[in-house]
Amino acid sequence: MSSIAIIYIVTAIVSIAIALLLFNLTKLSTRARIVADDERKKQEYLSSGILSNESMRHAISEEINEIVDSQPSRQEAIKKISDVFSRELEKKINLNAQELSKKYETIIKGEKQNEEIAWKKYKRVLSDKEKTEAVIRSIAEGLVVVDAQGKVIMMNPAAERLLGVSKKDKVGKALLENLKEEQLISLVKGAEDKEEREIELISQRDETKKVLRASSAVIENENGQTIGMVSVLSDITKQKELDQLKNSFVANVSHELRTPLVAIDKSLSLILNKTTGEISPTQEEFLSIAQRNLKRLNLLINDLLDLSKLEAGKMEFKLQLSSIEKIIDECIEGLNTWIKTKSLVLEKKIQGTLPEVNVDSNRIIQVLNNLIGNAIKFTPNNGNITVEANFESKKGEIEICVQDTGAGIPKENLPKIFDKFFQASERTPTDISGTGIGLSIAKEIVELHGGRIWAESEKGQGAKFVFTLPLKSG
Amino acid sequence: MDNKNIKVLVVDDEADFRRLMTFWLDSKGYSVIVASDGKSAIQLVKEKNPHVVFMDLKMPVMNGIETIKRIRRFDKEIPIIIISAHVGDPEGKEAIPYRISGVFYKGKDFEEGLPLLESALRTHKKLKK
Repeated sequence: MSSIAIIYIVTAIVSIAIALLLFNLTKLSTRARIVADDERKKQEYLSSGILSNESMRHAISEEINEIVDSQPSRQEAIKKISDVFSRELEKKINLNAQELSKKYETIIKGEKQNEEIAWKKYKRVLSDKEKTEAVIRSIAEGLVVVDAQGKVIMMNPAAERLLGVSKKDKVGKALLENLKEEQLISLVKGAEDKEEREIELISQRDETKKVLRASSAVIENENGQTIGMVSVLSDITKQKELDQLKNSFVANVSHELRTPLVAIDKSLSLILNKTTGEISPTQEEFLSIAQRNLKRLNLLINDLLDLSKLEAGKMEFKLQLSSIEKIIDECIEGLNTWIKTKSLVLEKKIQGTLPEVNVDSNRIIQVLNNLIGNAIKFTPNNGNITVEANFESKKGEIEICVQDTGAGIPKENLPKIFDKFFQASERTPTDISGTGIGLSIAKEIVELHGGRIWAESEKGQGAKFVFTLPLKSG
Repeated sequence: MDNKNIKVLVVDDEADFRRLMTFWLDSKGYSVIVASDGKSAIQLVKEKNPHVVFMDLKMPVMNGIETIKRIRRFDKEIPIIIISAHVGDPEGKEAIPYRISGVFYKGKDFEEGLPLLESALRTHKKLKK
């Protein structure tokens, strides 16, 4: 073989060798790049904690590549590959564990905070509960809570005292067990809302009679079912006693005041009638003065007794359908003499027929007597008085006015005239002076009938007193 | 008619009123007997047989209603006029079931009681026949 041929073969072999070398080098560099990439990815997933399957696969495949490259024996290969897997798996588990641990810690922290918040709230509720219980314990009223079966759930000390029982005997048991007072059945019977009952108890312990007011209300759950009842008990024994005293006082005073007046009046009448024999003119005159003043006293006492009855809430009305016209007539008739004495002209004006009203006619006469009486009192001789009655169908009431041509009432006094004991400063000296309670009694009577009363007047312009009576009794 | 034969029983716990009413009835010619309480009133009705009774309602121990009740047990006919202190006294109503001949109000003039008395006596006389 020639030397050229040898050179060609060597060059070829060297070229191939170089090519192979270059090819391997590139492969190496690529692999290096891949390895570098993988390393990066590995670092990434190690530090970021995100175990992407991608990065894991990269790491595993890279390591397996290395193993394969080293051309291990079958056994070596198996062992090394197993190692890789178990290592990677462990890594993954650790990372998972770390992450879970972190999450767990966050959760635990959150839970701890919630627990603290819950505890704080609980303590606050507990404190509120204690405050409420302290209030319930100390209120003067008794509080009894029973469940739907009538068994006592709760009873405060005041209730124990009022009912004369002790809580430990009662809680959990029906209120009626061991309790002889039958009236207490009313506490649990019936499920009427907000019912107020009066219960009379004859306490076994000290044999005193007690009157309790039980104010009960039903307890409902959110579905509207009755789950129990709460009763507030107040001791109204003293109140009842006072009420009874008031009643008997008014009755007694009434009787005690009137009795002597009757005796005096009758004695004077018998003398003045000459039933006891003849009397001189002077005797007659002075006895007449005595009797006249007695009548004044009588009126005053009647007014005062009426007032005290009204104040005590003891005035009772006997309502009956009555004709207002008849009432007006009766009133005018009674005052006729007085009207004539002052030469006054009294005019009665009634428009059409008035429907009957449900009133206590004696009391309405009392009102009219007062109003017309005042008109007579404060109107100078030869004046005019008008009594009018109209049916206001729209308002369903009858309106009655008494108008006079007297001195009138100054505007600033108008709101005060119905006050007790208020008297106008100008009074005609010859007339019987009033007590100042007539108008306040009239106002009470009218208002208790469901009507209104007022005055319209100006100084020097006479006065007009108006009151209304509703058709439907008030 | 000679009033002197007619016996009027006045029952009232107040001495002054008894005196005044007796004087007045006497001036009208009637024979008057008095009682100051329910117990003696019942006794007098039994013993003296009056023609008419004026009965005060407000009396201590035994009040007018109770007295009337007891009298009616043995005497259903005798006319009884109740004496009431004040117009509108509620006790007056309680007496109605025991048959009374009328109400005399202390506040009114004695003279106003006269027709009451006379009509009560007329019923009695009627029954007697």
